[in-house]
Amino acid sequence: MKEMIRYGLILALICAIAAGLLAGVNELTRGKIAAQAYAEEQAALKEVMPLAAKFTEVKSGDELLYYKALDNQDKIVGFIFKAGAKGYSSLVQTLAGIFPDGSISAIKVVSQNETPGLGMRITEKKFTGQFSGKDSLSLSGVQAITGATISSRAVMDSVKKKAAEVLELIKNEK
Amino acid sequence: MKTLIKEFTKGIIKENPTFVLVLGLCPTLAVSVTVANGIGMGIAATFVLLGSSVIVSLIKDFIPGRIRIPCYIVIIATFVTIAEMSMKAYSPVLDRALGIYVPLIVVNCMVLGRAEAFACKNNLASSFFDGLGMGLGFTLALILISAIREFLGSGQLLGHTLIKGFEPIFVFGMPSGALLVIGLLLGFFNFLKNRKT
Repeated sequence: MKEMIRYGLILALICAIAAGLLAGVNELTRGKIAAQAYAEEQAALKEVMPLAAKFTEVKSGDELLYYKALDNQDKIVGFIFKAGAKGYSSLVQTLAGIFPDGSISAIKVVSQNETPGLGMRITEKKFTGQFSGKDSLSLSGVQAITGATISSRAVMDSVKKKAAEVLELIKNEK
Repeated sequence: MKTLIKEFTKGIIKENPTFVLVLGLCPTLAVSVTVANGIGMGIAATFVLLGSSVIVSLIKDFIPGRIRIPCYIVIIATFVTIAEMSMKAYSPVLDRALGIYVPLIVVNCMVLGRAEAFACKNNLASSFFDGLGMGLGFTLALILISAIREFLGSGQLLGHTLIKGFEPIFVFGMPSGALLVIGLLLGFFNFLKNRKT
């Protein structure tokens, strides 16, 4: 019994020191991590909608529906949304910018874990570059990557589906 | 002094954690796709190994034998979390590339193995050099494996294309390719060792 309490106290002491140390490190890095995440998000938004100067989030409750992209005079230049679908081996998430007329500004694959050398090529400019200027509802003219049809389809289908939803939502915004 | 140098160098060749002790293979297989990932993972693991070895050897007399494993795990997890937070703050690209394998250093048998087999029986200086040597050995092994895989799998080295028109062999970019490379290297090192004796 005495041993048990002693062991418990020693373990508690070690855990307390570890927790204190981690709280300190968290305090030091928290601001930096948040800043990195924000900068990364803004850079990604800018990449799919280069014409815009700033972005505002449109939410329904806690769920982010899409971003509004505004120019310097606060005029809407387009909308940005995040689409996701299951690819060959992972969830493929794509950020897509569309103009009010429904054509695509640009897309960027922001998160994926597809097969290196095959499915992973969906992140390359050669694939994503095809989307620019295409109609977001049909995506006609976009070619899937040879040997990576499932991964390519995940990007194309998720963008098409989400574009239809977002275009429905923004009908009244124009 | 001489023994300290021996503790340091043994981890690099004679007791290399990957090729001789064959510890911590899971992260080795997973992250050795590119040299940059290999170096990042090696540095993170070395930091954790060094930190936990030093702390374990410092408080070895304070920890009762029967609860040593949970104590080691807490110490290791603390260093892993510090490494992960710093990586997120200062190198988000590397953090994303290594993903789940950084938190998984906690259960890397190499780290716990060194705490259990070495740091809890030796003094501070020996443990420090053992941790450093083992970490360096792990890093060098990762660099060797990832260099072979990155070159064969994508025709590049550290992101630079070496030979124009080289057709990459996709399998080396995948876990099956990692098994092939590690298996052949293990065989090669065993061959060298057997020839010597």
